[in-house]
Amino acid sequence: MNAPELAVAACHALDLAWTAAATAERAEHWQRLHGDAELATWLAPLQPTHLYFGSEFCEHLLPSARALREALSQAKSAGLRLVLLTPVASPEVLAQLDVLLPTLPAGSEVVVNDWGVAHELASRFGDLRPVAGRVLCRMTKDPRIDAGWAGRCGHGLAAPTMHALFSRLGIRRLEIDVPLFADEEVFADLPLPAAVHLPYVYVAKGRMCRAGSLSVTGTERFAVGRRCQKECLRFSALASRPGRADVAASVQLGNTFFSRHSAAMASSLRQAVDSKRVARLVVPGAPL
Amino acid sequence: MRIVAPVSRVAEIEPLAQAGASEFYCGLVPPDWLGRFHAINANRRPSGNLTRYEDLARAIDIAHAHEATVSLVLNAQHYSAAQIGAAEDIAGRFAALGGDALIVSDLGLLHALALRFPALRMHVSSVATCRNAGAARLCRELGAQRLILPRDVTLAEAASIAAEVPDIEIEAFVLNDGCIFEEGACHTIHLPGQLGGPICLDRFEYRYRRRDGGAVSPRLAARLQQNDAEYERWLWYRFSCGFSTTPEGLPYGPCGLCAVPVLRRGRVAAIKIAGREAPTARKLASVRMVRSVLERVRAGEDDAAVRAFAVGLRPSESHCATGYMCYYPEVLRVEGR
Repeated sequence: MNAPELAVAACHALDLAWTAAATAERAEHWQRLHGDAELATWLAPLQPTHLYFGSEFCEHLLPSARALREALSQAKSAGLRLVLLTPVASPEVLAQLDVLLPTLPAGSEVVVNDWGVAHELASRFGDLRPVAGRVLCRMTKDPRIDAGWAGRCGHGLAAPTMHALFSRLGIRRLEIDVPLFADEEVFADLPLPAAVHLPYVYVAKGRMCRAGSLSVTGTERFAVGRRCQKECLRFSALASRPGRADVAASVQLGNTFFSRHSAAMASSLRQAVDSKRVARLVVPGAPL
Repeated sequence: MRIVAPVSRVAEIEPLAQAGASEFYCGLVPPDWLGRFHAINANRRPSGNLTRYEDLARAIDIAHAHEATVSLVLNAQHYSAAQIGAAEDIAGRFAALGGDALIVSDLGLLHALALRFPALRMHVSSVATCRNAGAARLCRELGAQRLILPRDVTLAEAASIAAEVPDIEIEAFVLNDGCIFEEGACHTIHLPGQLGGPICLDRFEYRYRRRDGGAVSPRLAARLQQNDAEYERWLWYRFSCGFSTTPEGLPYGPCGLCAVPVLRRGRVAAIKIAGREAPTARKLASVRMVRSVLERVRAGEDDAAVRAFAVGLRPSESHCATGYMCYYPEVLRVEGR
């Protein structure tokens, strides 16, 4: 494996001109997005290869057929391969995917975060490539714990039973976060090529959305699956615990709670990339 | 429609069976689990588990004497390769004792157990987060007889899954113990209270910011503040009105009692009372409440009468009217038409 591929993630149309720009301009772009000079300098030499489009976490951010067609066109113009991100699926999401999936070119990757979506792909869309997403690739990532809890922070991806399930569903790649207490062997035990997300770890997601309930009134405010105004596209919340010495900064974006990589996690990831244990890096294309 | 009740002590089975529960579920953490894996739980809950196979055997015997069944929970968020073997050993001992069903969250493990223990029924845990017909079909193909839906579904979704995949039983939550995040998509630890407790109840302070770097307008800030206050109110309801009961010991929500008629018409086969870690008195009160509602549904009472009875049980008219105590608040919308 050479340098990792680099994916830019988005749930709506982005200006992608910068992806083909010179290294210095890409560094400026990453610095502007994520406010981390060291991260920006590290990412800048990598030319983006993929556009991740859609949402891993929210059914309301699944693109329309038109938005997906436009994103496919935009990605093609920018020389990027589009990967469709899909969330945990309600029956309605499955129906929407029935419309979206046939529009993808053969061989396209689809990140699945739902066993039902994986099953549909395996049984009805054999020319697409399912990738196990972060919701399916479970790993304890509670940002409030210290190293004393490290023994509780493993994953089950190396278990033969999970490997058999992936094989049955035609899953040949997976997506993962950086473990909270990563060491020099991080990602060495993964059974499939891995895409690693940065600079945030997904901690927990709900179907109920606090921010998405802003414009809802009555008895179904905070109820699951209700339509929102997509408030998460406009604002997020920094979440902190007064009086606690948490290392990582946490962010609530829509229905999902994230925590930022600690310096140690960022260092472990770079080491894993240097050791060629990471097939792809995935970075949000907008600030959280 | 069967009533599924939690147990954490053998002595709970007889009174709960007499109260109307026809299925029981429990966890077991064998004595050597902690030493081998430095983990206190072999399933989703760190407490509320049996610790001895002798107790599990007695639980099965007592349940069977009351024509009830026992399901054993193996529903940790994930199992390592080494833990998979140990979980299979637990399942084997359970099968040998005459247990009835395993509740499993890891679909890879579920398939392995279904092949190895064909006499046991396989129930997919709500922690598997399977909430569509495609997932139900996969569960069936892997050997499951039942899918326990997660909390985060609507009545229409539950009915549509049951209709589309009729060869798998559907179980739905009916009472107690809410979650904020989807249980199977929450990669956290229920920490001890002094460390913050569950992440959804921890005292996080939120500072809102616009993602484009602009300033949050005073009007938006005020709306967000109001939304946060309302969220805190909802949270109080979501966790059983501050983990309280009526003076008679009847638990508050989350509650789906008013939805039982709709669930039954939607071919939901079983309704689940949550709370393995709860006191026996709360479990008993919960089973009695659910049974009393189900009896009226079976007797053919209309939805409005069932709802009036359910609301009057505690009584809890003002709490119920908010919708915040409901597993399925759309019941209020349907009846409001």
